Amino acid sequence: MSDKASSKRRHENPSNLIKLLRNHRKDALKSLARMLFSPLSSSMTVIVIAAALLLPSLLFAFNTNIAALLGEFQNNARIVLYLTRGTSDTQALEVSNSLLTSNAIDSVDFISNEEALLSFSDAAGFSQIVADFEANPLPASIVITPNLAGLAELDQLAASLDQIPEVELVQVDSLWLRRLAAISELLVLAARVLGLIVLLSLCFIIGNTVRSHIENRRDEIKIIKLVGGTHSYIARPFLYIGLFYGLLGGLLASLLQALIFLSFRNPLNEIFSLYDSSFTLPLLAPAMLITLAFSGATIGWLAAIISAYRYVNAIST
Amino acid sequence: MISFDKVSKQYISGQYALAGVSFEIAKGQMAFVTGHSGAGKSTLLKLVLATEKCSSGNVVVNGTDLNHIRRREIPSFRRRIGMVFQDHQLLNDRSVADNVALPLDISGFSRRDALRRVRAALDKVGLLSKEKKFPAALSGGEQQRVGIARAVVNRPSIILADEPTGNLDPELSMETMEVFEQFKNVGVSLLIASHDISLINRMEYRTLILKGGALIGDTGLGELS
Ligand SMILES: Nc1ncnc2c1ncn2[C@@H]1O[C@H](COP(=O)(O)OP(=O)(O)O)[C@@H](O)[C@H]1O
Ligand SMILES: [Mg+2]
Repeated sequence: MSDKASSKRRHENPSNLIKLLRNHRKDALKSLARMLFSPLSSSMTVIVIAAALLLPSLLFAFNTNIAALLGEFQNNARIVLYLTRGTSDTQALEVSNSLLTSNAIDSVDFISNEEALLSFSDAAGFSQIVADFEANPLPASIVITPNLAGLAELDQLAASLDQIPEVELVQVDSLWLRRLAAISELLVLAARVLGLIVLLSLCFIIGNTVRSHIENRRDEIKIIKLVGGTHSYIARPFLYIGLFYGLLGGLLASLLQALIFLSFRNPLNEIFSLYDSSFTLPLLAPAMLITLAFSGATIGWLAAIISAYRYVNAIST
Repeated sequence: MISFDKVSKQYISGQYALAGVSFEIAKGQMAFVTGHSGAGKSTLLKLVLATEKCSSGNVVVNGTDLNHIRRREIPSFRRRIGMVFQDHQLLNDRSVADNVALPLDISGFSRRDALRRVRAALDKVGLLSKEKKFPAALSGGEQQRVGIARAVVNRPSIILADEPTGNLDPELSMETMEVFEQFKNVGVSLLIASHDISLINRMEYRTLILKGGALIGDTGLGELS
């Protein structure tokens, strides 16, 4: 050791990146081992994290499905234009032809007042009533299938259709859509608020878990500081602990979500088919799994950084 | 290089552990700090390692003014110092080899390179055969020598030792001193706190004598030239 000590020293010191990677791998494995060392409390923590992540995640997923359903209903939305009395069939046909030139309109269907009366009297029991009419009380109408993305556009289209002189009344069959859209908006808001609350509680849960890991190794940390361990060297294993807790919690949450979806799949699909919807509830998407695992890991890592910063620095030498 | 200029240390309790102490230890110089229990020897070493701050005066170590060292500069500062603690400060859940490897691990050495150095250091203190043992399975003297191996393993430019022979018999004490001398011979500065007067007398090195926190003697000034 006494020979050429100083000239050899530089040569033996590995590059910073290799050092870093080497330390990271070692600390990751060590942290995992420490978590496995107390499997019961570790899995309790993971379950709590998973449950917390599951709440906003389920809401978001539920809303995604509602939004898909909304789109489905929107495709079925109809606008009915009731024409003013005295509008001739030729005039009405002109109007419907001009409507077809609009991009916002997929198809039109002109129903003359005779046709309307005919279909009305066809309905069981009404033929006698219809026969008693002196004149045809029913207006001619144009049924429009719009080609639109959202409710706002639908309203806009309805307003512009109201400007047409031959149009007496515009009827938009959108009550369902509006209800659904409101529910969807509410869900998104709830999911966001819940997400924020969950984020804070996860930081708290994971931060506290990391803190207890730090407290358990207080003496060790003191000694490492005495021989020149940097904050990041000391903190790194604890960051991995946070990361692993978050990651495992996220994975468990996506597993639970898949199970929940699986158990709701059949009854929900039945409801959708009642509404004449071709929509079917999708099973867990890989994107959801990745999102949950990634958010869990990120939150865990960040919470651990905060916790390690506070509690490692508080150990003084 | 270690330089104390009119250094005083008052603990929060109000107790003065050091009062107006001035001295310099040059590169490659070995010196003892002696005095009765409570004279301030450990405090002096703690000021050098920056685990305590002086209340007044200046401590400069390896060119670093410790009155102005930043918190995040302390780790790299300490890595250039090897400290042998009176109470060993070993990690009980790590083997002897892993304990000695700690400074190398912090510096990012690969396991292979670290192990080579660890073995060399353990060999120097005569503990190569115990590398796989845990501290609890060692005697006090053996633990002390593990601490010595850890202090020298990263080839520090300064070695501090607080009662390094406190648990050792005279023969092992002399061997330990020989290890320290080897480092002195390659340019390492050493400051060794000890109340073992007979050992100090046998070694014939510069000796700082503390009494009640004051430096009342400095025998080896002549050796500086
Ligand atoms: N952390 C501390 N807080 C308060 N007083 C201390 C502390 N450490 C040491 N002292 C006091 O400072 C004086 C010098 O102590 P120390 O440096 O340990 O002496 P030595 O190592 O020579 O026995 C003693 O009177 C001791 O009680
Ligand atoms: Mg002492």
